[in-house]
Amino acid sequence: MADRTDVAFTYAEGWTPVSTKLILARRITLLLVYVLVVAMVVTVTLIPDVPRVAPLISGVVALVVFIWLWWLIGRRVRSFGYAERDDDLLVTSGIMFRRLAIVPYGRMQLVDVKAGPIDRLLGVTTVQLHTAAATTDASIPGLEPDVAADLRDRLAQRGEERSTGL
Amino acid sequence: MTDPGQSRIGDDLGLGLTLPGDSGDDGAGRRHVHPVTPVVQGVASIPVAILIAIATGGGALSQFGLGAFAAVAGAVVILALLVTGWSYLAWRNLWYWFDDDGDFRVDSGVLTRKQRRLQLSRLQAVDVAQPLFARLFSMAEVTIEVAGSGDSRVRLQFLTLPQARALRNEVLARAAGLRADTQEAPETPIVTVPPRDLAVSLLARSTTALLLLLTALIFTGTVLTEGWPAIPLMLVTGGLPVLIVVMEFIRYFRFTVSDSPDGLRLRFGLLKTETRTVPPGRVQSIEFVEPLLWRRWNWVRVRVNIAGVGGDDRNGRKEETLLIPVAPREVAVALVQRVLPELDIEALAWEAAPDRVRRRSPIQWRQIAVAWNGEVLATRRGRVTRRIALIRHARTQSVRVTQGPWERALDLASLHVDTTPGPVKVMALHLDATLARTLADDQAARARQARGSDSSTHWAQDDDR
Repeated sequence: MADRTDVAFTYAEGWTPVSTKLILARRITLLLVYVLVVAMVVTVTLIPDVPRVAPLISGVVALVVFIWLWWLIGRRVRSFGYAERDDDLLVTSGIMFRRLAIVPYGRMQLVDVKAGPIDRLLGVTTVQLHTAAATTDASIPGLEPDVAADLRDRLAQRGEERSTGL
Repeated sequence: MTDPGQSRIGDDLGLGLTLPGDSGDDGAGRRHVHPVTPVVQGVASIPVAILIAIATGGGALSQFGLGAFAAVAGAVVILALLVTGWSYLAWRNLWYWFDDDGDFRVDSGVLTRKQRRLQLSRLQAVDVAQPLFARLFSMAEVTIEVAGSGDSRVRLQFLTLPQARALRNEVLARAAGLRADTQEAPETPIVTVPPRDLAVSLLARSTTALLLLLTALIFTGTVLTEGWPAIPLMLVTGGLPVLIVVMEFIRYFRFTVSDSPDGLRLRFGLLKTETRTVPPGRVQSIEFVEPLLWRRWNWVRVRVNIAGVGGDDRNGRKEETLLIPVAPREVAVALVQRVLPELDIEALAWEAAPDRVRRRSPIQWRQIAVAWNGEVLATRRGRVTRRIALIRHARTQSVRVTQGPWERALDLASLHVDTTPGPVKVMALHLDATLARTLADDQAARARQARGSDSSTHWAQDDDR
């Protein structure tokens, strides 16, 4: 993919991408937020004495931002990737601000699997790894539920095999 | 030193009263804290109550004169008595003991009963502290902290100082697998921070010095232009830093580092005396902080991350965990070497940031560097306040590479090494992107190797200590 050409964020064996259903899930969330935004704009329009131009401008701005976010969600979701190496898990994401996390299996303290209502409806799940460091930032959103469960079990097992103290 | 069973009330006030201090034992080895505790807590509530009275009705008080004053005084006394009464009930229900499995148990609670069981094998720290009011009664509190997220500490209020020390030793000895009646580990003082140095160093910190300078400028401007409205601004720019300096001065007063078989022991505090033990194996990462103005005296501050201590405390406040608030560089390096014996800081080969970093961080770019050897990874950053952070490979939790748009344009990336929560952040900023990634992979490999051969968590069993 074009935005993975950078040497610092590549993985020779290739990243495992996340499910594209996540794009839909996030776009639905975006839509729900925007229903609120539109409701607010309409309410303001109904107030007398407010210059007609104010809601018009905010409406146009909101629309432009909406289209941009809509497009960005697609790119962001495609930027997520993970890879299971022998001793650690690699997670990458981001377009503007990119990151790559390397989490040794032996350092994992717990693995969270979670899914919100929209996620459940569409069948996507987030797997998040925790170490003793609060700054460890390794969550993989947008996995199919059975993929997520398998990943969780594999991670837990490897964690147990390689576990050490703090 | 008084007999552990007895407490001399008002010891610090020189009254010399004594009270038989039977802490109580129910026959099964369960113990109460000292029976004076409710009184101490009642007395401690008085200033708080007075402050609340002044804050809520200070104006009314001056209007209604002596009668209102008497009423408030009465209310304060009644409140203190209520606190004492409640505290007595709490005291009656508070039991602590070591159970047969070697765990530390605490039962407490008046309305809601709470039973806690601390696994001493997961012990992180035992601290003895003397809050101001406890100090008036020669009392001390003991805080026992085990590894774990959330509220993993128990605070016992109050014991006599000898009792507190004895409990501390017992906990440490049991955690280290020694006999419970092992004598208190002998201490040899290494260094004490002179109050003058502490005061000067706190005033000369970069932000403080800058704000004070700003205040002086505003003051000059105010006098010249007679623009008196700027005075409230001065209260903020000048008052706040002074307040922080005074608070830290009181907190870290007479900061003394001693050596003991349990690790480095820190004692400090003017009003509240705190004791902290830093077992070498629990230190996760270390940072030397050198504000610009300190460099003329060659001073540094040493901060550490200790597992289970100094992240967010119970009130969600960030607690700064120091090895020493200020010391000459050689002294600080010698202290760090006691914690990381294999490390030779001066011998680290620093890899400076590439020249193009100048366009990303024009001020600090010369300082940015990274170094590593078989034992640690070190990062350096900051022009005004230089920070050198060290993390042992064996203490690496996870590794991250990040890249913002600006870094990307210059083909740079930053390396972060994650460690347990605390003040120290290990960040190698703005490395060449390829190097950042190589270092990240290498660091993960080095961490794995070091973990395999690491034995520092069992520091008490090391023969060579």
